[in-house]
Amino acid sequence: MNEEQTWILQAKNGSDEAFAYIVETYQSPVYNLCYRMLGEPETAEDAAQETFLRAYQHLHRYDIKRPFATWLLSIAAHYCIDRLRRRKLPIFSVDEDEETTFEIPDAQAPHPETEAVHGEQREQIHAMVQSLEATDRAAIVMRYWYDFSEIEIAEALNLTVSAVKSRLHRARKQLGKLWQETSTTAHVERSPYESPAF
Amino acid sequence: MNHRPFEDWLLDDQPLNPTQKRELDTHLRTCKVCSALAESNLALRSARLVVPAPGFTSRWQERLVLARRAQRRRTLLGTLFFSVGGLLLLAFLAGPVLVSLIGSPAEWISAMVHALLFIYTTTLAVAEAGSVLFRVLPGFVPPFVWLVLFSTLSGFALLWSVSIWRLMRRPQGVTS
Repeated sequence: MNEEQTWILQAKNGSDEAFAYIVETYQSPVYNLCYRMLGEPETAEDAAQETFLRAYQHLHRYDIKRPFATWLLSIAAHYCIDRLRRRKLPIFSVDEDEETTFEIPDAQAPHPETEAVHGEQREQIHAMVQSLEATDRAAIVMRYWYDFSEIEIAEALNLTVSAVKSRLHRARKQLGKLWQETSTTAHVERSPYESPAF
Repeated sequence: MNHRPFEDWLLDDQPLNPTQKRELDTHLRTCKVCSALAESNLALRSARLVVPAPGFTSRWQERLVLARRAQRRRTLLGTLFFSVGGLLLLAFLAGPVLVSLIGSPAEWISAMVHALLFIYTTTLAVAEAGSVLFRVLPGFVPPFVWLVLFSTLSGFALLWSVSIWRLMRRPQGVTS
């Protein structure tokens, strides 16, 4: 049994301190997923807090043999999907509140100019992701920000693997189309799967 | 080669061998649709992790305290609601009876005495009939019938005990 499982077992036995450790460990991945899904820092904060509250209340249902991150992000994704469906109207805002949202800086960024271009592209891609249907959005976020395999996405979103493939295919096509419409001469120099969330 | 396989490679995010990569690079120089797909894929992969404002865990702990308080309040209000509701329903149903009882105490005392006497005499009669049957019946019933009857009852008791034991052994609810 690893350290994380020990904390989880302690939390299952009612230790608030152990669950606080879990919150501390997973706050960034959960918050990031909520932010990418909902598009706004304030709603993302609220959704991330609610995700941990739900995880705390339903921790007895967690199967210790499954990866905890998948279980937790599954709760977050389902909560965000429900919230988006209730909201109905999609949000296209790309404005970020500097007081509440922080991006992890890239320590290997070679030039400020390159970094600025990348920053613009990140904003562009964030805005484009907001235009996707809620479940497609969750699949894309899990694939690109968390390096989840199609099987893991299927488990987290209660879908079949073929449904996940189909959703990713459709979402990539939509994003490519939007990119073509909005982008000018963007060029990104980066290896695939360089910055996973974990 | 036509446009279709390149688009499928990009849309399905397929791993490519060096030859396919070269062919794709050549195609991307001329095809705007595939070029946009490739660029959007790379932009997605370059996206960073956004972190919450400092103090997230403390804010969550405060939220947990508030959630617990709200839960306690809901439980209290629920209990109060059902208690008051139950009392009001009881008063509504028993009200007319209580009024009549308070209005004429002699009547309900005599009715109560009458009911008690009825219960007492009925119990005595049933007990007497039972004792007569108990004395007379064994003479009429052959011993093997008693044997069959008691065996059947013992079997039922055993079946019931085993069922309860097996139900108690089965884990409930939690999967882990």
